[in-house]
Amino acid sequence: MSNFSILEFIQQIINGLTLGSIYALIAIGYTMVYGIIGMINFAHGEIYMIGAYVGLLVITVLGLVGVDSISLILLATLAISILVTGSYGWTVERLAYRPLRGSPRLVPLISAIGVSIFLQNYVQLGQGARDVSMQPVLTGGWRFGSEDGFQVYLSYMQVLIAAITVAFMASLTLFISRSRMGRACRACSEDRAMANLLGIDTDRVISLTFVLGATLAAVAGVLVSMYYGLVNPFIGFIAGLKAFTAAVLGGIGSIPGAMLGGIVLGLAESFASAYLQTEYKDVVAFALLILVLLVRPTGLLGRPDVEKV
Amino acid sequence: MKTFNRNVLSAAVGAAILSLGGLAQAEDTIKIAVAGPITGPVAQYGDMQMSGAKMAVEQINAKGGVNGKKLEAVLMDDVCEPKQAVAVANQIVNQKIKYVVGHLCSGSTQPASKLYEEEGILMITPAATNPAITQQGYKMVFRTIGTDDQQGPTAGRYIATKVKPKKLAIIHDKQQYGEGIAKEVDKTVKAAGIKPVLFEGISKGQTDFSALITKMKKEGVDFVYYGGYHPELGLLLRQSKEQGFDAKYMGPEGVGNKDISAIAGPASEGLLVTLPADFSTDPANAALVKAFKDQKQDPSGPFVMPAYAGVQVITDAITGAKTEDPIKLAEYIRKNSFQTPIGKVAFRENGDLKEFEFVIFEWHADATKTPVK
Repeated sequence: MSNFSILEFIQQIINGLTLGSIYALIAIGYTMVYGIIGMINFAHGEIYMIGAYVGLLVITVLGLVGVDSISLILLATLAISILVTGSYGWTVERLAYRPLRGSPRLVPLISAIGVSIFLQNYVQLGQGARDVSMQPVLTGGWRFGSEDGFQVYLSYMQVLIAAITVAFMASLTLFISRSRMGRACRACSEDRAMANLLGIDTDRVISLTFVLGATLAAVAGVLVSMYYGLVNPFIGFIAGLKAFTAAVLGGIGSIPGAMLGGIVLGLAESFASAYLQTEYKDVVAFALLILVLLVRPTGLLGRPDVEKV
Repeated sequence: MKTFNRNVLSAAVGAAILSLGGLAQAEDTIKIAVAGPITGPVAQYGDMQMSGAKMAVEQINAKGGVNGKKLEAVLMDDVCEPKQAVAVANQIVNQKIKYVVGHLCSGSTQPASKLYEEEGILMITPAATNPAITQQGYKMVFRTIGTDDQQGPTAGRYIATKVKPKKLAIIHDKQQYGEGIAKEVDKTVKAAGIKPVLFEGISKGQTDFSALITKMKKEGVDFVYYGGYHPELGLLLRQSKEQGFDAKYMGPEGVGNKDISAIAGPASEGLLVTLPADFSTDPANAALVKAFKDQKQDPSGPFVMPAYAGVQVITDAITGAKTEDPIKLAEYIRKNSFQTPIGKVAFRENGDLKEFEFVIFEWHADATKTPVK
């Protein structure tokens, strides 16, 4: 490759942060559920896929009705997608995991995989197995710097993705650290049996965890349909795998860890693609995961919590 | 437990006997399996294949069928997945179907073809272009489409002689089809003295190409050849335009369908595509084109006429050779030529067409195409 360019480097950071924000949003769903009930919710990728479908449908319908204000489209889409996706999250927990509470760990895991397959096929039946696409809602951006004709490009959409991600993560952090319900969440995560004895309705906390995770997955889904404009019933699988990796990388069970893990993963993919070969981006991402786990088995920000593992 | 097993066993035996009975009754029709993607990301191409094959079956039946028997098309969905293709091939074997028009994707055609060869089933693919499929020394495998070692050089020669890019990038999707054709293009342009600055693979199903686009922009790439299918290229085109990377793109027939414009929108304007000649504009096919239009189907897709031709070669061979034995038919097909909507076709010893022409088209944002001279 030709010589290093600082502008290209900046551009790759922008690319990586955008991708990483999406990973981080989805990763939080994995990490929260694990933090509270010690189970990997493998259906989470499908919840995100449903969020993306709802997002795309709402945007398309709004476009048909003639709504053209970006902020209105964004707000309406986010609200509807969160509502629909959140109720899917709640239902999945209620039907597929709650009846299995207290059974051996492998059982809810199998149930999760079953839900994942079910949702994939359910959307396939309802929406067809083909790609559904849509033209970008928000185009344009800023260009700055110039070096041999190369300009850094920061699109409005990328800024929007970053802003929304930060906003939702900040609210989630506030909610967990300040609110009464958040305290209950933390208590459950520390010791569920004890929290139950102390009068916390743990079933409600668990439901809430699933709904919160689904909310963030819905946000990621809406952002993805606005940014890439292409969804199909299978996008949940790869996105789920990457987000799960991000959650483990950051330390599963830790919310700041999931955020950090997502960003690190996004940047790693972007840099691997830029300075090695695009073929190696997944190799680099997973090699990084192995390295981190070798040095810090609990992930970047994970607590050394022996009984959970 | 024991009685349960015995019950299951007798039920299975019963079912097997019943299904045998079913087969025995169906002897007065000739079944042709049409295997390709009916669902999945590239189902667009499956539509072309299915509509071409179904039209052929309809028209041949309307003329009285073959040797007094009716044809029946059995549609099979392989989703363009190699694993699913093998499952479909097994189904075809179990249903004792003797002729296959398919599969569509090279990656799924190759593993399926092994089964057909072993089981003595005649297979004609109207779409799989990877050269390796006919290099396995198989006797039962044919195709009514050209190969990547014809298509790749057509694209490569065009790039080297007409485009003459300053900096060329070649990207592929690491699949048998995409990477195969990208390598052919690479070979041809290198022979003409152009060395690509990038030769890289992306992943099937990847949605974010920003890092790769930034890299190409930085390298000053002004022409990109993409080997693969339309979902990834559509996003690549769209994100290139968004980032202000304005190189011209070119791709094989795997990207040339209406969905590319649905995904990429205005960014698909000016995309170059190598496709089989548009047989629907051939005056000799006027009646056939009208028949398609009467059913509100589009005859201009690249695999419609080759699929029609595939069915027709099989039935013409059955009439000509006066046998339904697939192995004898394969010999007959190799020795004779057939008049089909894709022209007069004759096959080489390995099952490839003796002649097949790829043409370069320019794609437009409204999903139409015009030939480039």
